[in-house]
Amino acid sequence: MISKKVILTGNFGVGKTSLFNRFVYDRFSDKYLTTIGVKVNKKVTHVDGEEVSILLWDIAGEVSQDKVPVSYFLGAAGIIYVFDLTRPLTYENMDRDIEHLRQLLPDSVIKIVGNKEDLLGSEDEIQQILSGLNHECNLTTSAKTGRNVEELFQELGKDLLERA
Amino acid sequence: MTSEKSIKGMGGKQPNHNDEMMLSMLRDILLREDREDIAEIRDALDDPDRLAEKITPIIEFHLETMKRKFPREYQKQVDRIVERKLKASQDELLDVVYPVMGKMVRKYVNHQFVSLKEGLDERMRSLFSAQGLKNRLKAMVFGVNEGDLLLGELEETKIEEVFLIERDSGILLGHYSLTETIDRDVVAGMLTAIKSFVEDAFSKERQDLEMIEYGTYKIYVQSFHQYYAAIILNGAITASYKDKLSKRLLDFAEAEMQNISLDGEFETNEQKLSARLADYFKE
Repeated sequence: MISKKVILTGNFGVGKTSLFNRFVYDRFSDKYLTTIGVKVNKKVTHVDGEEVSILLWDIAGEVSQDKVPVSYFLGAAGIIYVFDLTRPLTYENMDRDIEHLRQLLPDSVIKIVGNKEDLLGSEDEIQQILSGLNHECNLTTSAKTGRNVEELFQELGKDLLERA
Repeated sequence: MTSEKSIKGMGGKQPNHNDEMMLSMLRDILLREDREDIAEIRDALDDPDRLAEKITPIIEFHLETMKRKFPREYQKQVDRIVERKLKASQDELLDVVYPVMGKMVRKYVNHQFVSLKEGLDERMRSLFSAQGLKNRLKAMVFGVNEGDLLLGELEETKIEEVFLIERDSGILLGHYSLTETIDRDVVAGMLTAIKSFVEDAFSKERQDLEMIEYGTYKIYVQSFHQYYAAIILNGAITASYKDKLSKRLLDFAEAEMQNISLDGEFETNEQKLSARLADYFKE
C-alpha cells in the first residue's frame, strides 16, 4: 500500500466537504474547518489490485494566496479542485487558481471537478458550461446523489500510482 | 656498402649460399648492439623488480608534480562538482547533519547547565544546608516550577504513543503505542495540520511547535528536517526528562533514519520503523 496526501480545494460553498464526507473515513468533527481551516480524512481505494491510502486534506474557504497557510499544501501528491457548476463566480478565477496551485505543487496530479450537477436541468446545460472553461473538467459530480465520487477516487488513485 | 653494392649487382639472380651467409654476417655486425639493447629491455620488462626500479622514480615525480599542481589546475572543477552535489543532496545532507548537530547543541547546553549548577552550589552551600532547599535549587537550575518538580518526583511520566511523521505531507512513517488507537494515519495528518497552523500563524521566524498540552497528557514534538516525532506523554515533564527524551530521539534518528528513503515506499518503511520505535521507546 502507498500513502499519498491529496488537497481538496476550491471556492467557498462549492460543496467540497459534503461531496466527500460520505465516502471517506470521517474521524474528526467539521469544527476543525472553522478553527484551523483544515480537516484530514482518509480514503483507501483499490487500483488494479493495489491499495492506495489517500489522506484527504479538506481545506476551508478558497484557493487564496494569502488566506490559506502555504504549509497546508506542501507535500501533496494530488489536488482536487472543486467548483460549483451552478455559480460562475466559483469558476471564473479558475485560471488564476490552477496557476497558483501549479506553482506551489508542480509535480502533483490535479483533478478539476464540477459539483452540484443534480441542480442543472440537462446534460446539454452541463456541456455548455464546461465548453466555456479554459481547463478540462475531469468529472462532474453530485454530493446529493454521490454520482462519480468513487470514480474520481479511482482515477486519482490510478494517476497517483502511475507517478509513484 | 660493399655488400649492398654486391647485392644490387646480382641483378635478377637468386642469392646463393655464400650470399646468404654474408648477408647474415652483415646483419650480425650491424644489428648486434640493437639486439643487445632489445634483449636488455626485454629482460627489464620481464623482471618486476627491475621494472619497478626504473619506473618508480618517474611515477613518483609525476605524482609529486600532480599533487603540487592539483589545487591550481583542478580546484575550480572540484569546487563546482562538490557544490552541485551538495545542492542536489541538501535534504539527505541535512538529515545526516541534524542528529549530529542536535547532539552537539545538547552537549553544549548540558555543559552550561552543569557549570551554572556548580556555580550555584558553591554560592549556596554556605547559606542553605537543609534538604528541602535541594528542590528549589534543582528548580532554579532546570528552570521549572518547584511545585512541578515535586510533582514530577511523585508521578512517573509514561510514554503512551510515538508518532514519526513526514513533515510536509503528514504521512505516518512509523508508530508505537501501548494500546490500540483510533486511525493513526488521520491523527498524524491532523497533528501535522495543527503544527502547520501554529507555526504559520505565530512564528515570525522559522520556529517549530514543541509542546501541546491537554489535561495530564502532553504531546512533545521534536522536528527534524524532513520529518518530526510527536510523543504522547502522561505525567509531569521536567526539563531533565525532556532532555532524556530528546537524546533518545536523536539517537534514534542517527541510527535508524539515515538510510530511510522518504520517497513513496512508506508501507515498507512504516513496519520497519514502527518496530524500531518500540525498541527505543517501550518502557
